[in-house]
Amino acid sequence: MSQIDRREFLRYGVRLAALMGMGRAALPQLAEGLEQLTSGTAPVLWLQGQSCSGCSVSLLNSDEPGPVTVLTQYISLLFHSTLSTATGEVGMNIVHRAIEEGGYYLVVEGSMSAGMPEACLMGHEPITRLVSRAAQKAKAVIAIGACAAFGGIPAAENNPTGAMSVPDFLQREGVSKPTIRLPGCPCHPDWLVGTLVHVLKFGLPPLDTLGRPQMFYNRLIHDQCPRFADYERENFARTFSDEGCLFLLGCQGPLTQADCTLRHWNSRVNTCIKANAPCIGCASEDFALHSSFAFYPKDELLSAKES
Amino acid sequence: MAKTITIDPLTRIEGHLAIRLEVEAGRVVKAFSAGEMFRGFEVILKNRHPMDAQQITQRICGVCPISHGTASILAQDEAYGIKPPPNGRIVRNLILGANYIQSHIIHFYQLSALDFVDIAAVKDYTGNDQQLRALKGWIADQISSKVMYPAAPFLPRYEAKYLENAELNIAAVKHYLQALDMRAMAHQMAALFCGKIPHAPALIPGGVTEKVTADKIAAYQSRLQKLQQFINECYLPDVMALAAAFPDYLRMGKGCGNFLAYGVFPEDADHSQMLFPSGVMSNGRVNPFNPTQITEDVRYSLFSSPSGLPPSQGQTEASPHKHDAYSWLKAPRYGGQVLEVGPLARILIAYAKGGNAEIGKQVDAFLAQMYGGPEMLVSTMGRHAARAIETKIVADRCAEWLDQLIPGEPTFRDFTIAETGRGVGLTEAPRGALGHWLDIQNGKIANYQCVVPTTWNCSPRDDRGIAGPIEQSLEETPVEDENNPIEATRVVRSFDPCLACAVH
Repeated sequence: MSQIDRREFLRYGVRLAALMGMGRAALPQLAEGLEQLTSGTAPVLWLQGQSCSGCSVSLLNSDEPGPVTVLTQYISLLFHSTLSTATGEVGMNIVHRAIEEGGYYLVVEGSMSAGMPEACLMGHEPITRLVSRAAQKAKAVIAIGACAAFGGIPAAENNPTGAMSVPDFLQREGVSKPTIRLPGCPCHPDWLVGTLVHVLKFGLPPLDTLGRPQMFYNRLIHDQCPRFADYERENFARTFSDEGCLFLLGCQGPLTQADCTLRHWNSRVNTCIKANAPCIGCASEDFALHSSFAFYPKDELLSAKES
Repeated sequence: MAKTITIDPLTRIEGHLAIRLEVEAGRVVKAFSAGEMFRGFEVILKNRHPMDAQQITQRICGVCPISHGTASILAQDEAYGIKPPPNGRIVRNLILGANYIQSHIIHFYQLSALDFVDIAAVKDYTGNDQQLRALKGWIADQISSKVMYPAAPFLPRYEAKYLENAELNIAAVKHYLQALDMRAMAHQMAALFCGKIPHAPALIPGGVTEKVTADKIAAYQSRLQKLQQFINECYLPDVMALAAAFPDYLRMGKGCGNFLAYGVFPEDADHSQMLFPSGVMSNGRVNPFNPTQITEDVRYSLFSSPSGLPPSQGQTEASPHKHDAYSWLKAPRYGGQVLEVGPLARILIAYAKGGNAEIGKQVDAFLAQMYGGPEMLVSTMGRHAARAIETKIVADRCAEWLDQLIPGEPTFRDFTIAETGRGVGLTEAPRGALGHWLDIQNGKIANYQCVVPTTWNCSPRDDRGIAGPIEQSLEETPVEDENNPIEATRVVRSFDPCLACAVH
């Protein structure tokens, strides 16, 4: 641990403790958690299934710790197909050897094309088979983003590939491993970094019944909404770009558990509801799955309200 | 006897790409590009509410969601007969422009530079830069710590001839690190007006949901100025320096040599003026673009739906075991012609059409430095140069668009969702020409087809057996060491392939 001194660790620790809603008492242990990540004892193997890479891009938007710190100090990233210099066989050799030796944290981004294995290949091999093997040798599995966590758009009604979430797929394969769901489209970088640190130092963070860390997903967006007072006063936005509660435009805040309205995105410059955009429930377990459940049933809701 | 080399996965791009090369006497004679993933967005969109489309299609790609969102709301604007107010149009440009800047920066530094720059050179760094010293210490620690793969994800890599100039290597590694912060900052600019990114909630038919306020303008401007400085002082000079250090790549990877742009960044309500104009460049001459000339072949694609359909009638029926097919990409063609799309296409077409003095000036400056004519741009390094030039043009224009915003004026115009209607959303993603074709019946999506930039560039062979742009660009590429085919990966990456987009 030569690059970040103890004081710096504590500084990051304070930040992370705040991120995770923990008290100052947790700080010394948190700093140790960070050291462990730094020492290279906590390798991360990152595999992409049916994904858009949006969660990877989102991780690069991490701020305090910034992306350079995350990549060189927090995560010993064995392989990541968007970032690794290794390509072709050189890349696949890393993946195969890592799986052989085991002991890493497996992060999976994207859904599993369970009904059509040919719909996602890497190194001539269906990603489903690779993820199944990799999960068996992992310390824990993190299903990052809407698609890995709950299936997301690839698993939506009428999808042609039989796409499944990673936990559902592993269960079907009979692979039993501690698995954490980090939903969100994309996943917020704090949710991943905070979860990794917790896993290392304290073991699995307290999870809810769906496998989500309670520290990030335990409350409804609606209950933490800056426009909750507008809702109470029935001061509703009638169309897009209006002020007021966005409920009649289809806001999914009352059905979605996540802390975006408090945490905000992209170095905290904004978030959906603050930008007058209804929450579309991207962190919810039902996100995008049902074709009859429109994101913006504006006209239906408004006419129901008026009649 | 040709030897087959497979590069699978071709990393440091977005998504799942496999490249197969047939090599004879140290040169590629045939290349096959295969998209290895499929989700079926066009199938999933059917029967959904039309306004689901701008949110669902953004999730095609986490690197260029804004472009898909833009194509979708343009298609809906047309279907609903609505035009955004001036603030709405300009804010859309500012959101898209910010994502161009982040996408081009990440492509050059994070995805491409390590094919040329020797990151291991930082081991010998003796200067005082804190970040570089930290990186040096980290690499040294990693190597001595006997971890499975020291300095991953930066090492291991292909054994090859990397840049030898120590000073340039160090500067480029420094800029690699800086670029990570810079691209995140560009994303902050986008988020100021689009709520969050990747996957922007504020893009909406009729404009955007976010409002214009003076503090948002100032917050965007402050970040933009830092990015303009980075583009002028790091990105453009680094591209020039690499092009000068690897002159072979100013001739290698030419490709089909014909180009297509739909045009992007409307400067007026009717989209009659675009920052980058539309056009089809065939044998060096620019002709007007006509969207009805677009069709998609599927003979070598993993689909059983009919081949040669225009996107307005397009169908997507997966057939994973189809005989002879080797890719999840369709093969888009324009009047039967193979065309390359992307920053190079936009810059060449704008340069040939004239009308933008700054583009002319930047292109001429690059060519003068490389002692070449415009044909030199049609190459591996030419694509990097066009992308860097475009980044500067977009960033500078964003600064001017900011000045056109009027706080308090609307960014959105209300509309009624059509029960029946059609719309075509044509725009340009950072990677090239992007179109969404929307058909609404009974208030639901009856058909939705996307023809995406990397579908053009990475396309498999068409019904006549003619190879796609990247496949063609690989022909004649030398492969010095079959175990380390770095030349081919350099050529492919210059196109900035985005496979999640291409397959959708």
